[in-house]
Amino acid sequence: MEAGEEIEDGEPSTPTYKAHHHPPHLPPPMRSSGVSLVLSVADLVLRFVAIGGTAGSAIAMATTSETLPFAAPFVRFRAEYSDLPTLMFFVVASSVVCAYLVLSLPASVVHVVRPGARSSRAILAFLDTVMLALLTASASAAAAIVYLAHRGSARANWLGICQQFTSFCQRITASLVGSFAAAVVLVALVFLSALSLARRA
Amino acid sequence: MSSGEPAAVSIPIHDHHGKAPATSSAVPAAAAAAPAAAPAVAPRKVGIPFFRRGDHHRGSRCLAFLDFILRIAAFGPALAAAISTGTSDETLSVFTEFYQFRARFDDFPAFLFFLVANAIVAGYLVLSLPFSAVLVIRPQTIGLRLLLLVCDMIMAAMLTAAASAAAAIVDLAHNGNLRANWVAICMQFHGFCQRTSGSVVASFLTVVILMFLVILAACSIRKR
Repeated sequence: MEAGEEIEDGEPSTPTYKAHHHPPHLPPPMRSSGVSLVLSVADLVLRFVAIGGTAGSAIAMATTSETLPFAAPFVRFRAEYSDLPTLMFFVVASSVVCAYLVLSLPASVVHVVRPGARSSRAILAFLDTVMLALLTASASAAAAIVYLAHRGSARANWLGICQQFTSFCQRITASLVGSFAAAVVLVALVFLSALSLARRA
Repeated sequence: MSSGEPAAVSIPIHDHHGKAPATSSAVPAAAAAAPAAAPAVAPRKVGIPFFRRGDHHRGSRCLAFLDFILRIAAFGPALAAAISTGTSDETLSVFTEFYQFRARFDDFPAFLFFLVANAIVAGYLVLSLPFSAVLVIRPQTIGLRLLLLVCDMIMAAMLTAAASAAAAIVDLAHNGNLRANWVAICMQFHGFCQRTSGSVVASFLTVVILMFLVILAACSIRKR
């Protein structure tokens, strides 16, 4: 049995038109074939991996706080993530993506159990793309700042603060790696959703 | 009267089935493209070629035409951002003891990445224009639509990354950072700052148009 068919513009409805909107109860569960089951389970597993990546990077960045034991005349002796607004944006965006992924876990479980739920898959795919855009933007902005922290900029007379704050720098670099890995996993998630949607069409 | 003969006068288009005033726009193009555009419809047609009333693919053709227009619209800001970043080079006339007095885009690797990404996206948009035109003529090629969708998404993601990295640097240049002892260089380099800020804004506009293109392509694939 096919899922509900769309009506093209201008085409008259035929007597074999199947109702797209069912009564309030769920449609009868379809037998999940092997491939669709694998896709849905892979989707669930990848969501867990992405949750780990984003949560890890948000926590690693948010718990940075290094105080130098000595006080130099021109350099501040305490570094936190909130000193740099871009890193603040990175922490907030990572947390938002992590919260979204946690909230989308039940939906993903539903997709494993009932493979015929098409519109919820489509909504999940769309939201995954939005979160991917947010994560990419925040990770690239933070990467630009981390690069500056490592190298500084000779032209703008910006000193690379990593010379003094080594453990702070190591932390923010490592959290960036986790964030980019989570972005790649989100790309794979979007691809899996598209694949499952295309299989039903 | 058949629609095959070119008319010498332009007549307002009426919706009369059976009486066919000739088309009023692009008649030689219509005569040339009519065999390709309307394979098996009634011989009496009115309307602009490719968008005739009895055409089954009219909805898809409209979407493909919108896709074509949006591609041209996205090409402008991308090229402008690339050029404006590439020509940003300001040398100050004041000479102080501690400050460098020249700023260029390749002093910041983020701007270099931004320039390259904008150039790639502008080039891609130009190269994808013929494919989009093919989709207007033959809307039933789904493979081409899928290819354009995937490439649009890749370009949008890359451009988002480049634009956000450049935006981080521009924000730092405008506001500086007190904690890290980073001075806001926009105080000295006005022209450089204005140029790069403007190009970041244009690049984000291109990202928005590209996202709209992706949604459009997804909708038109779904309409099949």
